[in-house]
Amino acid sequence: MGMWSRIRSWMRALAQRSRMESEMDAELRFHIEAFAEDLVSSGVSRQEALRRARIEFGGVERAKEECRESRGVSLLDGLMQDFTFAARTLSKSRGFAAIAVLTLALGIAVNATMFSLVSAFLLRRPPGREPSRIAVICGVNPVATFQSDLQGISVPNYLAWRKANQVFADLAAADEYRTVSLTGQGLDANGQPTSTGRPEAIRSAAISPNYFRVLGVNPQFGRTFADGEDQPGHEHVVLVSHQLWERRFGSDPSLLGRTIRLDREDYTVVGVMPTNFRMIGFIAQLWTPLVVTAADQTETARKDRPLTAYARLKPDVTVEQARAEMATLAHRAEQDFPQTEKGWGAAVRTLQDYLIANFNVRGGLKVLMTAVGLVLMIACANVAGLLLARATGRRKELAIRISLGAGRLRIVRQLLAEGLVIALLGGGAGLLLSYWGINFVRATMNFNEYISSVPINLDWNVALFALAISVASAALCGLVPALNASRADINKNLKDESRTASAGRSHSRLRTAMVTAEIALALFLLVGSGLLIGGLSAIHHQNLGFRTDHLLTAAVTLDSTQYKDAAQQAAFVRNALLRLGEISNAEAVAASSDLPATGPGKVTFLIKGQPELPANQRLNTLDFVVTPEFFQAAGIPLLRGRELTERDDASAQRVVVVNQEFVQRHLKGQEPLGKQIRLDVSGPSPEWSEIVGVVANTKTYSEAAREEPQVYEAMLQRPIASFSLMLRTSSDPDSLIPALRDAVAKVDAELPLLRVMSMSAVIEGQAGADPIFERLLGSFALLALLLAAIGIYGLVAYSVSQRTHEIGIRVALGAASPQVLRMVLWEGLKMTAMGAAIGLLMALPLPKAFEAMFYDLQIQEPGLYLIVPMAMAAVTMLATYIPARRAMRVDPMVALRYE
Amino acid sequence: MDKKQMELLQGTLDMLILKAVSLGPLHGYGVLLRIQQISKDRLEIQQGSLYPALYRLEHQGWIASEWGESENKRKAKYYRLTAAGKRKLQTEAEKWNRMADVIAGILQSTPEEV
Repeated sequence: MGMWSRIRSWMRALAQRSRMESEMDAELRFHIEAFAEDLVSSGVSRQEALRRARIEFGGVERAKEECRESRGVSLLDGLMQDFTFAARTLSKSRGFAAIAVLTLALGIAVNATMFSLVSAFLLRRPPGREPSRIAVICGVNPVATFQSDLQGISVPNYLAWRKANQVFADLAAADEYRTVSLTGQGLDANGQPTSTGRPEAIRSAAISPNYFRVLGVNPQFGRTFADGEDQPGHEHVVLVSHQLWERRFGSDPSLLGRTIRLDREDYTVVGVMPTNFRMIGFIAQLWTPLVVTAADQTETARKDRPLTAYARLKPDVTVEQARAEMATLAHRAEQDFPQTEKGWGAAVRTLQDYLIANFNVRGGLKVLMTAVGLVLMIACANVAGLLLARATGRRKELAIRISLGAGRLRIVRQLLAEGLVIALLGGGAGLLLSYWGINFVRATMNFNEYISSVPINLDWNVALFALAISVASAALCGLVPALNASRADINKNLKDESRTASAGRSHSRLRTAMVTAEIALALFLLVGSGLLIGGLSAIHHQNLGFRTDHLLTAAVTLDSTQYKDAAQQAAFVRNALLRLGEISNAEAVAASSDLPATGPGKVTFLIKGQPELPANQRLNTLDFVVTPEFFQAAGIPLLRGRELTERDDASAQRVVVVNQEFVQRHLKGQEPLGKQIRLDVSGPSPEWSEIVGVVANTKTYSEAAREEPQVYEAMLQRPIASFSLMLRTSSDPDSLIPALRDAVAKVDAELPLLRVMSMSAVIEGQAGADPIFERLLGSFALLALLLAAIGIYGLVAYSVSQRTHEIGIRVALGAASPQVLRMVLWEGLKMTAMGAAIGLLMALPLPKAFEAMFYDLQIQEPGLYLIVPMAMAAVTMLATYIPARRAMRVDPMVALRYE
Repeated sequence: MDKKQMELLQGTLDMLILKAVSLGPLHGYGVLLRIQQISKDRLEIQQGSLYPALYRLEHQGWIASEWGESENKRKAKYYRLTAAGKRKLQTEAEKWNRMADVIAGILQSTPEEV
């Protein structure tokens, strides 16, 4: 009751301060005038009456002030006072303030910088209308592979689910990862492209006409696809991204309605998408209609799973309901088509969840945010330690203020205000620093087109986050010293005249505890980063099993316009390899469905003579399709049998080469040569292939360190449209890039090349963010070590300066310098040993946690547990030694007089 | 106010104000007049300290205020007792009476009683 009216009155006081002031004025004026009127009626002149009334009333301003106070308005004024006072005290001790602010600024800057990544990757709202109502449907592979629940779905399933589901208002599908070749705007009289530039490979997506309607995204101008534009004969329409429109077409508005050449065919531009249509991991610059042919609807088409489905939920349907519905539909498909669908499921996510899961950055971001969080905690502990030390110096001031009537709450508030001022200054400075930090991160995060398409900015999320952690830091830094100071015994502190007492045991105990915690956290961080960096760099430096140097590669996708059948594809491969072989310094040339180290897809297979198992229980292997010279070009040694040759063509018996691991795992060491296997690959009816050779293992560049079974098919026997060219050379591979381009242009001038780069660059691309991740993590760990060292230094230096008197007495009584040195060093060593022990204990479960977080990362770094604590001890000893030396030099006479 | 006046005992002003407004809503000046009238001008009240006390009592929820018209047709702020104030006045009065009894008892004691 009383509480409530107090709050109400206080709220009113805050909200209506000016009104209250004028009301108070009116009330007091009324009093004086009414009093004067009474006097007038008793016969006094009006002027005299007013004068007497004012005198009787006394000081009006004082009364008003007292009224305000009894109203509780003073709280606001008090807060203002706290802040101005805090600012004033801090500006008086600039050195202290500068160190505290800088420490926090560093901690907050690294946090804000890392948070810009969180904001960019995890918090960005997808474009379009009500993105939370969009569900994304992926296939779930029964074979455990990388991102096995983010697989594609087949065209027959898309069509069936679109028709059968009860939960979606509309369902669209897209094949997001296509590449088309964009040439000039037409052909001249001689049938040559009018544009003189090279044909360009552009990332594109084939989408069902309702795709953008489902996403709720409108074109910047023009239109999206109409129903029926996915029918053969009507499909030559294209949507262009804003970026491509700017870059390639000079933002020409007349592009609308014009035709452009894609894969040697004319397409009419019907619309340009807006610049803000950007989703992480999506890099399509062109959209064409997804054409569904009769062949796409056969049962064999179920083996191809190129699509992702996007659906808008019906108004009152939840994602869980959609998930249940899709589980039912996937189960039905499993029953109807067990040959291809056995074990396959369907995963349903919201668009935002899908984008994040697909981009696979959560684990790395979690580790980085934990690391910077720990750095900030160490920084806070340092600042809290500084404040505590200062509070010890200010014990007397505070005691006097308390004895003069300042409430303890007021003192706590005062010290908290100081913490807050420091933290806000630190936050401001940190945000400023993070501006550069974010620029740096943006500049380094461009190692592939997926990453560089994500805008990283100092946005509102980052600013708010910086503010929030500043306030949290203020609480962390300010609370301990504030409570500690407010508990102080006034009488003791007032009396405590001499500085000899090794001031305030409880204070120094608290600070020791904090520095110990700092050391523990820093050690934990060092061990954790060491483990991850060690694990990642082991991947980086592993022997991949083939020669990665002096190898130039380029990716090619043959369009179906020019290369209609297998024979034409085979002809291109033959001619291109012939031309490449003519390049001087070329030692071996080959084509391969996938480059070694990049990780091809897994396929299931059968061994002749073994019972036929359902699809989800079959053996599986990595599958390459290569030309004969592949093993020489890649530098993979042949162990048994023979390599593939030119004679292994379409007319010959199907043959394959397998690797050692295949023999060991799947053939259990039996004689491999002559064994027949049947791969479940798409295309016409599968055939039995004979194993004719065994080659050494190669590794896929990934976190999985183990060897995988591999099969190499002959490209002449199974032609494919998408593959990489490989050129082994005796010279610098990058210098041969023009020669390679020319050689391919001689075969087909309109065919674009993608990712023309050396094998080392390919591997660097595979490493992705890892090197940056390692560098960031390493620098955070070092920053933590530095901050912890500063913390130790501060504490020991302070305690030495407090003990100058004591040390002086010891020296005067005959203690030798080494003894004094030992005494001070011991103090630092104790904290280090304690902190290190705690930190090591905390770090014990880390390897397990990392293995779970990062797909199959193998961690074996036992040396770390020795090296890190020793390095830590060395640093902390150095931090202790500097003030200890000062203690040693104490002149007893000066120290004794020092008062 | 020429007569001999007594200074108010510390802490009693609040109780007197509550008593004054318990007899009917009053503006600040009216509270002063009422107390003087009831006490027959024997109490001296610092006019300046009256308003902080009123504000404090309102803040604590024992009295409530609203603007009204004075007998001279002027705008004035009127205070009235709330239910909580009524209870408060009651307990304060009881406390005061007990205290007065005790003090009086002590002062009336004779050497024989001790």
